[in-house]
Amino acid sequence: MKPQKDPEGFERKYLHRHADFADARVLEIGCGEGRLTWKYASASRVTIGLDPDHDALRVARADSPADLRDHVHFTRASAYHLPLPKDTFDIAVLAWSL
Amino acid sequence: MVHALSEIRRTLKPGGILIDLRPFGDAWPVEVASSTGHLVAGHLTDMPTGVADDAAAFAAMTDAESRGWFVRETEDEFAFFYYWDRPSEMKEWMDAEWKDFVEIGEDAYQKTKALWASANADARVRVRVKMTITRWRRVEIPKG
Repeated sequence: MKPQKDPEGFERKYLHRHADFADARVLEIGCGEGRLTWKYASASRVTIGLDPDHDALRVARADSPADLRDHVHFTRASAYHLPLPKDTFDIAVLAWSL
Repeated sequence: MVHALSEIRRTLKPGGILIDLRPFGDAWPVEVASSTGHLVAGHLTDMPTGVADDAAAFAAMTDAESRGWFVRETEDEFAFFYYWDRPSEMKEWMDAEWKDFVEIGEDAYQKTKALWASANADARVRVRVKMTITRWRRVEIPKG
């Protein structure tokens, strides 16, 4: 049986304490199923979630709230080769992935 | 890992920030928690793979800092709790998902079961995962 994770919301609290996502262009590396993504993406201008796990990305896309689908995108990629242009993002998040 | 940090730096705007959010092994406590409070039943044992992963992550960020790619701005530690309804569910999860990183010794498991059995009806078991979050800022490397 899957555990309940962080019901106290400490992760969200500390994430927002250390970064202001308002209107930011965000790159998340190791987004997995998007568990962390949904804790900040609504504030961002655009969020790109990367992960090498195709199945996890499928879940992330399926779980995308309707109002976020136009500015949250998930792509299969490794951090060792980011298929993205330089000087693009205001914030990069290493999500349990370093 | 250092190459990945180089790639991340490349995609960040000048002055952009990098948030490094991750757990780190440190004999995570196993607790029995209910509406009346919590008790520590024991601690998990860090496995060599997890210890090596933590060391590699730390070394990579130190390397990136020494190369002048990023400067550390803020840092915090906090708890991230995993909850299960009963000790057996926790054990199954650990054996399936965490076996390379941490394990629960027999003594800690038996103490967890005993504490849970004698606790309030709403008692659950939880692991207090220790987390670190660090904000780094991209630094411009002088040309020439």
